[in-house]
Amino acid sequence: MSAKPAVRISIRAIAIGFLAGGLSACVSAPPPPPQDQMSRTQVETAPADLQLLCADAVAKASGADSTKILPVSSSKIDSKTYQVELDASGKKTSCLVDTDGNVKSVQPT
Amino acid sequence: MTGKLTIAGRAALQRRSLTAIVAVALGLVAVAALAAGTQVFDPKTRKWVDYDRTRARKYYAAHNEVPEAFRPQMVKFRTAEVPGTIIIDGNQHFLYLVQPGQRAMRYGIGVGREGFGWAGIVRVGRMAEWPTWTPPAEMIARDPNAVKHAGGMPGGPDNPLGARALYLYERDQDTIYRIHGTPEPWTIGLDVSSGCIRMRNDDITDLASRVKVGAKVIVLMQGAALYKGV
Repeated sequence: MSAKPAVRISIRAIAIGFLAGGLSACVSAPPPPPQDQMSRTQVETAPADLQLLCADAVAKASGADSTKILPVSSSKIDSKTYQVELDASGKKTSCLVDTDGNVKSVQPT
Repeated sequence: MTGKLTIAGRAALQRRSLTAIVAVALGLVAVAALAAGTQVFDPKTRKWVDYDRTRARKYYAAHNEVPEAFRPQMVKFRTAEVPGTIIIDGNQHFLYLVQPGQRAMRYGIGVGREGFGWAGIVRVGRMAEWPTWTPPAEMIARDPNAVKHAGGMPGGPDNPLGARALYLYERDQDTIYRIHGTPEPWTIGLDVSSGCIRMRNDDITDLASRVKVGAKVIVLMQGAALYKGV
């Protein structure tokens, strides 16, 4: 038996090893989330503080009593934006806010 | 156990025209399909796992503690609300106590089960240590175990209201909702109550020591895009 097939087999084994290693790296577990994000919900609503920033923006925009403005629903529009629906004594308003806390728009609905 | 809240009580609440209170029935099938579905990150397996009653009981039995997510911690909280304000996010099962410097103390909570969600802007009307629990008539009617407490169950470690109760008022009216402790700490992170907000006894004791009677309490709507009107 010549040495060449043995060398080929070794090279193949090494290549397969590298490939397997690379693949396992690809599918390894993601890093754990930050300590304050160790739970989540499948239905993603806006974080509480962003909902309240919208309520504050609506109060300022409308001059309404801030104690009467309540977020009533919210949803994620894209990776950086949430839509928050608010009720101000029966008057409905829609607010867009980004994850940095910047209110993008406030509109009656 | 859930304090003094009942379905009839909620109806009465609405009848009283409490303008800041929004009581919403979440019992529709469509609503059930949109239930939040809480998951917690398991640091051992490094995977997200569904968090339900069964898993919650097992976790508590194994660790004598709730998952890390539901333990008290200081978090970033961007808000115009003044320090001392309480924010309740039933979807995420968190209660925030606003602190100075755009931060908040966050605690894990158990909230209303399906059909018992509500939202509103209320205030802490009064507080009590180791409060007496009196089951409402409707609860006595449907739960034979509650009959023996019809006259009121004295405060203590087995009392459903736990170590402290913060009674939530709208103006001068008792809303019949409470933020209270619980002898069932494993229920934190779950939708289990009849509308009251429950916390671990250590946490409600800590919260009660930090808030004042009159503090504003904002209860955010449970469920996404489920609001159907007042």
